Amino acid sequence: MAELFDYDESREAVSAAKVRALEALLIKKGVLGSDSVDAVLSHFETVAGPFNGARIVARAWLDSAYKCRLLEDTPKAIAELNFPGMNGAEGEHMKAVANSESVHNLVICTLCSCYPWPMLGLPPYWYKDPVFRSRGVREPRAVLREFGVPISADKEVRVWDSSAQIRWFVIPERPAHSEHLTETQLAALVTPEAMMGVALVPAPTAA
Amino acid sequence: MFTRFEEYAATQMLGQPDSPPRSEGKLFFSEEWQRTVFGMALALSKEGYFEWDDFRQNLINTITAWEKDACAGDTKWDYYERYTLALIAILEQRRILEPGEMARQMVADETSK
Repeated sequence: MAELFDYDESREAVSAAKVRALEALLIKKGVLGSDSVDAVLSHFETVAGPFNGARIVARAWLDSAYKCRLLEDTPKAIAELNFPGMNGAEGEHMKAVANSESVHNLVICTLCSCYPWPMLGLPPYWYKDPVFRSRGVREPRAVLREFGVPISADKEVRVWDSSAQIRWFVIPERPAHSEHLTETQLAALVTPEAMMGVALVPAPTAA
Repeated sequence: MFTRFEEYAATQMLGQPDSPPRSEGKLFFSEEWQRTVFGMALALSKEGYFEWDDFRQNLINTITAWEKDACAGDTKWDYYERYTLALIAILEQRRILEPGEMARQMVADETSK
């Protein structure tokens, strides 16, 4: 019986051994530098990713003047924070919209999959799904309900269609009971989905 | 449109059969070797050892082969197992690896344990 349960684990072990052997060979041949893997992945891990968007949202929550500048001229306000990964074309043409007591914003993309990468990271699987995109336009409230975000009838839902010209992102509402949190702690609560408008930011769990 | 190779490379895969696992906007690796092999392919293509699209074609082929072979419940889907096979294949196609070289290295690794 034991072999049955070992099966997947040993397949994993074979893959791991192959990758180890491959890395060793390529370094020995001078094809791969010993720090090449970390260098290329640092782009995803520290330069461009959802941690940037989360930091912008946290700053906007703490500093209402910053929030105004962000809504007024988004690229300029983002530039204030000096992100290293924000020079690429994907970070330009950004436009922030803010959720409030009276408005909920939802970002979709009906044409392609324009997505503000350096701020939100890699888009989720369903973002390219034509059903999500067309229903997002036609019946945003129903789509939001399915995401677990029911919007009351008296709240306006605005749908924003991202394109190569404008890449939208949402400043979610600051959760209740978060007054005592620092900027870093607030940023940790913000998910990419909240910045697309398909999730809310949950109140922090009691320490 | 993309000024960074890393972004171009990852974006080409999104919504395609070779789309990598991800979670909360980040690449998702459950083991360190998965991170290593993902980064190796990216780094080597960035250095010009092979075209990213040629590697992706290998990856899609090995994924298709798995789909054809897989009997229900027989072999578990493992994206990075496919990815590793595709990377070895492109390196052999480009003669960066000689035939049999990987096998010899693995034996050497095994005996040096």
